[in-house]
Amino acid sequence: MTSTSPISPTRAPSLTRALKSPLSGRLTFPLVCLGVWLLTIQAVTTIWPFAVDVLPTPWQVAGFMWDEITGNTLAPQNMYETFWISLQRLGAGMAIAMVVGGVIGLAMGLSKSVNAFFNDWIVAILAMPNLAWALFCSLAFGFGDTGPIVAVVLTGVPFVVINVREGVRNAPTDLYDMARAFGVPRERAIRHVLIPSLMPFLFAAGRYAFALGWKGLVVAEVFGGQDGAGWTIKFWYDAHRAYGVIGYALLFVIFALFFEKFLFDRLSRRFFRWRPSANATAEDPAPTDQQRTPQHG
Amino acid sequence: MSTAVAPTTSPPRRASQAELARKAQRRDRIKAWGWRLAGYLFFLSLWEFSSGRLMDETLLPGPTAVFATFGELWQSGKVPGAFATTLTRIGIGFLLAFVVGVLVGMLMQNRWLSGFFKDAVTIGVTTPGLIWALITAIIFGNREAGPLLAIVLTTFAVITVNVSEGIKSLPKDLIDMAKSFGVGVLKRNRHIVIPHLAPFIFTGVRFGFSIAWKVTVLTEVFSSSSGIGFEMRTATQLFRLPEFLTWILAFYILALFLEKVVLEAIERRFFGWRTTLKA
Amino acid sequence: MADIKVENLHKEFGAGADRVVALNDVNLEIGGHVFVSVVGASGCGKSTLLNILSGIETPTNGSVTITQAGHPARAGYVFQAARLLPWRTVMDNLLFVQTDRSEETRRRCQHYLDMVQLGDKAKKYPGELSGGMQQRVGIARAFSTEPDVLFMDEPFSHLDAITARSLRTELHQMWQETGKTVVFVTHDVSEAVELSNRILVFAKGGHLTEDIPMNLPFPRDSSDPDVALAKAEVFRIFEKIGALAVR
Ligand SMILES: Nc1ncnc2c1ncn2[C@@H]1O[C@H](COP(=O)(O)OP(=O)(O)O)[C@@H](O)[C@H]1O
Ligand SMILES: [Mg+2]
Repeated sequence: MTSTSPISPTRAPSLTRALKSPLSGRLTFPLVCLGVWLLTIQAVTTIWPFAVDVLPTPWQVAGFMWDEITGNTLAPQNMYETFWISLQRLGAGMAIAMVVGGVIGLAMGLSKSVNAFFNDWIVAILAMPNLAWALFCSLAFGFGDTGPIVAVVLTGVPFVVINVREGVRNAPTDLYDMARAFGVPRERAIRHVLIPSLMPFLFAAGRYAFALGWKGLVVAEVFGGQDGAGWTIKFWYDAHRAYGVIGYALLFVIFALFFEKFLFDRLSRRFFRWRPSANATAEDPAPTDQQRTPQHG
Repeated sequence: MSTAVAPTTSPPRRASQAELARKAQRRDRIKAWGWRLAGYLFFLSLWEFSSGRLMDETLLPGPTAVFATFGELWQSGKVPGAFATTLTRIGIGFLLAFVVGVLVGMLMQNRWLSGFFKDAVTIGVTTPGLIWALITAIIFGNREAGPLLAIVLTTFAVITVNVSEGIKSLPKDLIDMAKSFGVGVLKRNRHIVIPHLAPFIFTGVRFGFSIAWKVTVLTEVFSSSSGIGFEMRTATQLFRLPEFLTWILAFYILALFLEKVVLEAIERRFFGWRTTLKA
Repeated sequence: MADIKVENLHKEFGAGADRVVALNDVNLEIGGHVFVSVVGASGCGKSTLLNILSGIETPTNGSVTITQAGHPARAGYVFQAARLLPWRTVMDNLLFVQTDRSEETRRRCQHYLDMVQLGDKAKKYPGELSGGMQQRVGIARAFSTEPDVLFMDEPFSHLDAITARSLRTELHQMWQETGKTVVFVTHDVSEAVELSNRILVFAKGGHLTEDIPMNLPFPRDSSDPDVALAKAEVFRIFEKIGALAVR
């Protein structure tokens, strides 16, 4: 390995190392996807013409996305407007879900009786498909903001409840005892012990509520909206523009990734600076925990 | 809560301590069950009360109305067929998703492939199932491939995440111990690797199933001409809302039963050692 | 310097089959500038005693009074695990247990951090410090409230031998300089003999069985034959009452 060739002694090994690195794999992924897509189009047009109804080309999709990003759309509203509308609904629904879920979760964590009272219904709501909420809300509240917001609340609340309950159950009793031994007054103990100890759980709750609430919102808008991102993808679907549906779906992915990576990871690093491993956990894909959570239910 | 237990029938003075403890435990259990029942009673009557009062009866039929509608649907003979169709679709789609998920999870142990699949997993986890349902519906129309692809795309990532987590946490110390005793590869796999991975895979299956059945119904709503989702679409198109609600609730209860009772019982039965270890 | 008076102290946990007697009719008086060690095997009620003395637990029966010249005394506590708030910096951890946040209080906290040689770590989070450093922060926190009495529950048992040794010396100097009453729980007889004026021995079931005075001069070196003899003597007492798993 220690090639002592006089000309750029490190280039060759570092190049192979770069090629073998996860980053190069990551960069290869979209290229392979593109290749598979083109091959499929080729195969569909030459071998099985009846395998699909319609399969748009990448260029159509890219053109569509470019138009959307430059604000030049055939839909009633451009993507910035639609996503902004949805984001407002998501924010409102999440705020309500955090408050409601926080209160119920706190009570469930503190009292076994309250826990027994709510537990099965929380599990049931958690397992309810978004579709049911979406249709129910659109029927119950008509076409407007209320239906989608309620759908977000209903999807988000169980996650908040489960996480907050977990936080209360994992309360750091040793730290309370410490505060007591030093005669620290109650409100200071709440402020410096209870609330910070709940923060990671609240944060996780917010993160899941956001991810899951977003999914619920999209479904609700598809079935019961007159605007918003979910409604717009349905618009392209009803217009039978396959490139529009795929292009909009990619916008969804970008939107979700943006919030995961840029908002929540940043916030987590900022909030939990005190955690020696804060940076390490931020690197982990959130899904691990997210998938883990329902287990507690 | 004053459970009407009259002044405790004072036992002969030396009731053994173990007995007292058992009694206390039983009292706790009864109390929890009481609250649980109270919860059921409260929510069910809230639902029943809302129907026809807070909300139009045709929009929100109460539990009794749903039950009656289910009876009618059963009489019409559509129920078993629709259930069977949807369950078959879930079965096939989920099997495919499982194979893909485990395969990708194993491949991701390679550094390069872990980078390659990283975004695929993230996209799989974050993209709403509805998006896949719409895309596959518009591309494949009402061909069977659509729902199956949608199931695979929404479900595989959960299984992958669990499998690779399991592989990452393989007990190196135990494997080294076995090696130092000269235990062969096959025996090592059988007694260390597989028992370690099985619970992770099973957890993936459990979460995966809970996602898969929801996507399946969703895709049926858009593109199938049979199954629960199709029946739901027909019901909404005819504005038969009680019927719609009954379909989804009936299937939901079945899925919940499979998820919470059957799968969890299997998990407890086979992987019970995991929880006892933790405790 | 506080006066501690414990009368007929009794403490039970649980009921029925789970009932545990942690302290059984303990009577005790501690006063003045003393370093009292409480020793005994694990599970014989040492921590429970400290928890009751410091007000974390309440006794089932009996009474505890801790006074300083007729007034209720102030107490500081050093725990087995440091018990620092992980989300607050070292300085904020010290400020957390103070009655005010004046400039003078801050200076005092800084002074005690300097004393445990962590003056430059005030802005760090506990997670960024080693176990030994965290324990030193715990000690600084206990001293920083300028308490009349200090409770310590096996404060060095989680640390490696070398760190523990240097912290012991440090602690002892601080005790001598500040003149406090110290109640120090340990299961390590050598530690008890080297540090204390008085050793209380607890046996299974929460009985206070022996009260041994230790009048050798400080500092006590473990190689000093008198110290070694004293240790042997204490070990002998332990064997007699079967109170200890000898290290
Ligand atoms: N909070 C508690 N609940 C129930 N039992 C306890 C509790 N705290 C201590 N005990 C029991 O009391 C006894 C004495 O415990 P402790 O004072 O911690 O012993 P030590 O500190 O000497 O090891 C032990 O048997 C322990 O199990
Ligand atoms: Mg102890």
